[in-house]
Amino acid sequence: MSLDLSKIIGQIVNLAANLKQKEAQRRSKIRHAVDALASAAADINALKQKVESSKTTWLVAGPKESIDLRQPAKECSTDYIAVASDGSHIDVDRHQSAHCFLINIGIAELQYGFNPGAELLSVPKLYFRDDEVVIMSADGRIVPIEGQLLGIKRSIEECRMLVDRLERPESSLPIIMLLDGSLILWSLAEQIYPDFVVNELLVNGFLKHLDKIRRFGPRPLLALASYISFPRSTEVINLLRLATCPHQQVDCDQYCSGKFSTRECDRVGGILDRELFTYLLAPGERSAVFTSRSSVVTRHYEANEINFFYVRLDREVARIEIPLWVAENEKLLELTHSAILDQCRRGLGYPVALSEAHEQAVVNVGDRQQFWNLVGQVLGEDGISMSSSAKSESKRARWI
Amino acid sequence: MATEEEQKRLGAVVSGSLTQGVEVRLDASISVEDMAVGRYVAIEGTKHRFFGMITDVSLETVDPNVAVTPPDVSDPFIAQVINGTTTYGKLEVLPMLTIGGDAASILEGPQPAKTVPAHFSTVKLASQRDVEVVFGAEDEKRFYVGTPLDMETKVCLDVAEFVKRSNGVFGKSGTGKTFLTRLLLVGMLQKNAAVSLVFDMHSEYGWEGKTEKGYKVKGLKQLFPSKVAIFTLDEESSKRRRVNTDVVVRIGYNEIEPEDVELLRQTLNLTEASTQTIYQLAREFGDSKWLETVLNLNEEDGKQLISRLNIHDSTYRNLRRGLENLRRFSFLVPHTRENSVQRILDYLDRGINVILEFGRFDDFAAYILVANLLSRRIYARYRENAEREMGGEVAPSRPLVITIEEAHRFLNPELSSHTIFGRIAREMRKYNVTLLVIDQRPSGIDAEVMSQLGTKITCLLDDERDLDSVLTGTSGKSELKSVLSKLETKQQALIFGHAVPMPVVIKTREYGTAESYRELGFLDAAELKKKTQKDIEDLWA
Amino acid sequence: MDIEQAKSQKPKTKNHSERRIGEVIKASSAEFAAQCYKLDEAPPLGCLVKTEGKPGEIYGVVYDVETQSLEPGRRVVARGEKLDSKDEVFAANPQLSRLLSTDFKVMVVGEVEGKSRHYYLPPTPAAIHSFVYVCQPEEVRGFTESLDFLSLLINAKILVPVDEVIASCLRNASLTHPDSNAFLVKAGKELARMLSNDINRLNSVLKRLR
Repeated sequence: MSLDLSKIIGQIVNLAANLKQKEAQRRSKIRHAVDALASAAADINALKQKVESSKTTWLVAGPKESIDLRQPAKECSTDYIAVASDGSHIDVDRHQSAHCFLINIGIAELQYGFNPGAELLSVPKLYFRDDEVVIMSADGRIVPIEGQLLGIKRSIEECRMLVDRLERPESSLPIIMLLDGSLILWSLAEQIYPDFVVNELLVNGFLKHLDKIRRFGPRPLLALASYISFPRSTEVINLLRLATCPHQQVDCDQYCSGKFSTRECDRVGGILDRELFTYLLAPGERSAVFTSRSSVVTRHYEANEINFFYVRLDREVARIEIPLWVAENEKLLELTHSAILDQCRRGLGYPVALSEAHEQAVVNVGDRQQFWNLVGQVLGEDGISMSSSAKSESKRARWI
Repeated sequence: MATEEEQKRLGAVVSGSLTQGVEVRLDASISVEDMAVGRYVAIEGTKHRFFGMITDVSLETVDPNVAVTPPDVSDPFIAQVINGTTTYGKLEVLPMLTIGGDAASILEGPQPAKTVPAHFSTVKLASQRDVEVVFGAEDEKRFYVGTPLDMETKVCLDVAEFVKRSNGVFGKSGTGKTFLTRLLLVGMLQKNAAVSLVFDMHSEYGWEGKTEKGYKVKGLKQLFPSKVAIFTLDEESSKRRRVNTDVVVRIGYNEIEPEDVELLRQTLNLTEASTQTIYQLAREFGDSKWLETVLNLNEEDGKQLISRLNIHDSTYRNLRRGLENLRRFSFLVPHTRENSVQRILDYLDRGINVILEFGRFDDFAAYILVANLLSRRIYARYRENAEREMGGEVAPSRPLVITIEEAHRFLNPELSSHTIFGRIAREMRKYNVTLLVIDQRPSGIDAEVMSQLGTKITCLLDDERDLDSVLTGTSGKSELKSVLSKLETKQQALIFGHAVPMPVVIKTREYGTAESYRELGFLDAAELKKKTQKDIEDLWA
Repeated sequence: MDIEQAKSQKPKTKNHSERRIGEVIKASSAEFAAQCYKLDEAPPLGCLVKTEGKPGEIYGVVYDVETQSLEPGRRVVARGEKLDSKDEVFAANPQLSRLLSTDFKVMVVGEVEGKSRHYYLPPTPAAIHSFVYVCQPEEVRGFTESLDFLSLLINAKILVPVDEVIASCLRNASLTHPDSNAFLVKAGKELARMLSNDINRLNSVLKRLR
């Protein structure tokens, strides 16, 4: 049975009404947040101290510079190179004939200026060897790469592809490298995966890639950033909550356990960072740079500590994450800010290099089916018995 | 001159039949305007070579829509493209002879076509050689009469064949019948094929004639003085015209028989009754005396006579009145010592052609009376000779051709059975006498007589009935009809019949220039004298 | 022979850069489609092109040229509102030249093997990835000595009006003949024969021959 929309329409209307009601509330919170920002920015050191000494369950952004900064963009150089990487994958499918997975990375490299050029390619890789499809500890423990872990592996491969692009003909043009999504591998912090997994993927994988990129410079300028559109994070709002908390040492469990929506901090809480900055920033402006205080970053990233800022595009706000060595290098920071704006202008609201990389990477349902068909065909030719499950067979053919 | 191979290709045969002719699609490079009805073409079939005449030219298109919305031919490019492809010219050709490729046909010469050429056979303009093969070259039997359209080759008439049957020369007035007749007479004379007796109503053939523009042309006597004798009915007229006449013809009353007068019934206004009366009177007084007697009758004797013979008075008066009309013919005399018939026969026997001028007596009555009377007698003599010849008593005599003009007036269905000419025509050459009829209203001539004519030479005719009558019984009739009606008004004629292997449109040869006379054998004074001497010697040999 | 050996070999007598215009991406018995190496540098409509045959060379007439997005589902959007020229649009968005391709479709009209020319469809179609070359003027002249190839074109069922293709093909070919007007007349006559039952069509084609 397909979804009966007529039964839902009334409920959707209720949703809209509810949203409208919340709108007024939201606007008030934004105003309070702006005020809080201004007053918190007055004493940055005090704020830093308060952050250090606080104990909150929620993630708070680390302040670095005047937090109410509204930084207009410097003019983007006419000549620069944007390299973006994006990926997609075909997960392991129990119902299929062979145990393997596919990661397809798309790369887009666009050169602007006196010698415009473009390179678009995709690099698919099939993982099937015993040592490829699992992560093995020194003492023989095995964790299969699939599902969420496969997603993480993919993100790492996206970064590794950027490293491969470091081998390039000599040029003096500045380079901005872009990734989609977050540079913070959140799920590896959840204590779900054993340490050897974190080591292999993050410490010896992802972070090593970041190092290589870091060491490319100083000439030409090379910055790396990741782009998150429609960010749902609340780190800066949380910082403001912390700032407005009347207690010097913030300890929610201790002081406000059980209370909710009557706390002082609730006056700003409940909205997203992006809502604040949409209100605050003019198109083209960026916010101050903040530090990420997530545990995985503080524990592992070190020289590649992830910082972030928000940038206002024409209509929306995007979150840009950068490693420390970009945040602390004024030229790289400026490059990142202006280049991203330029890319979004060319890409009609989204960095064009990233969207092209995405197009190269995308694997749709049809591709997925063709892939498994091909696997089955080749195995069949080789005389290997291919038994796929009845469930996948029944999914393949639409029947009544 | 182009060889046969180089002869320009016109197109190819695309359809058709033997009876109605074949259709030829013209090649793109040939302009329809260069084609003419009456021209000869040669068709190279797979097994035979055909010889035919163009009988029609038409415009065709591959798509009838072209006629409805013609393409823009002011654009030279489009005009060039569609010419010969979308639009093309078509010829109707009547294949008449085959000139085969095998030895037999080369020996026998061209044969009448019994089949048609194969599809897409090449059609070319006939070459000189083709025409020569068909018509033969000029020799002792063949007389050059003219050239085919747009060609220089000589078309020759087989004169021996010609005189085997009676023939006709037809055409509207002013189209050149007289010229043609002169040529034919010269031809027969030159080739010694026959001896001619010409009843020259308008005095055109004997000494000299006139062209339409008024130029004089030589007559037969000027060209061949020793072979031609001029007889005249009107001495004064001949003298005035300074014509050298050999004999003055007088006809006595005793020579006129009832049949002669019956012929003149209409002219003399005689009733049926009076005509019958003549026979009565002839029985009464004898064939040779009746006329003289009746003319000399006075009132008294006349009354006696008619009551005795039971003749109605009004009939008699009608008869007398009619007969009196004869008196105006001053060549009719009560008595004559001369026997004109015998004089004529003498000349004819010697091979000398006789031309009888009528002078002022150029009306129909005199013509028919004299021509019929003399011919009747001459014919009778020839018959006698012929019968004796059949019995082995004498050698065969030279054929005689009697030339008469305005033939439709006495070869019409009503009269033809009464005249000697009808009889001569019907009996063909049984007694070595044939006719050459000259006429501009062939539809007036008895169809039976027309069908007896062996060869017809026709200039332009435009009356539908005349065309039909001339072509009666000829194969390819409707095709030839269109050719006939498109002839030029002068110097063109269509010849068909026994004396030519196939119908041919000719431009008649020149007659009237010094050159033309010389070609015909005319000798100047000095030569003439020499020749005359020799002739006289021969004569008395 | 491996790739290294092949590369080091002396180049073939045919000059590889000789007017190579594209590569076959689709082929069937009566036609083939090729992608140009350079955007917007397709051969003109009606142009005579050739590609590898088996054996010899397959000749064909260009009947459709199309520039479009390479990716199905991605359409081209206008980008030049603030720019001054098409070239600036491409400079500002360098990825465009990778995402668009100019393709052309070719109607097969015969094959040439050395000195002999055959004006019928070759037994096997062109091979995918065969290179496509624009025919040189001598080749065009030689091939169009005979107009037999027109019969394959006349009855082709294609979306582009085939008469336009025929006319432009003949116009181009006429320029390679010493007397181009005579060639056009000869071609016109051949068309008149073939289109004898459709005078209106003939008229419109002839008008386009000048």
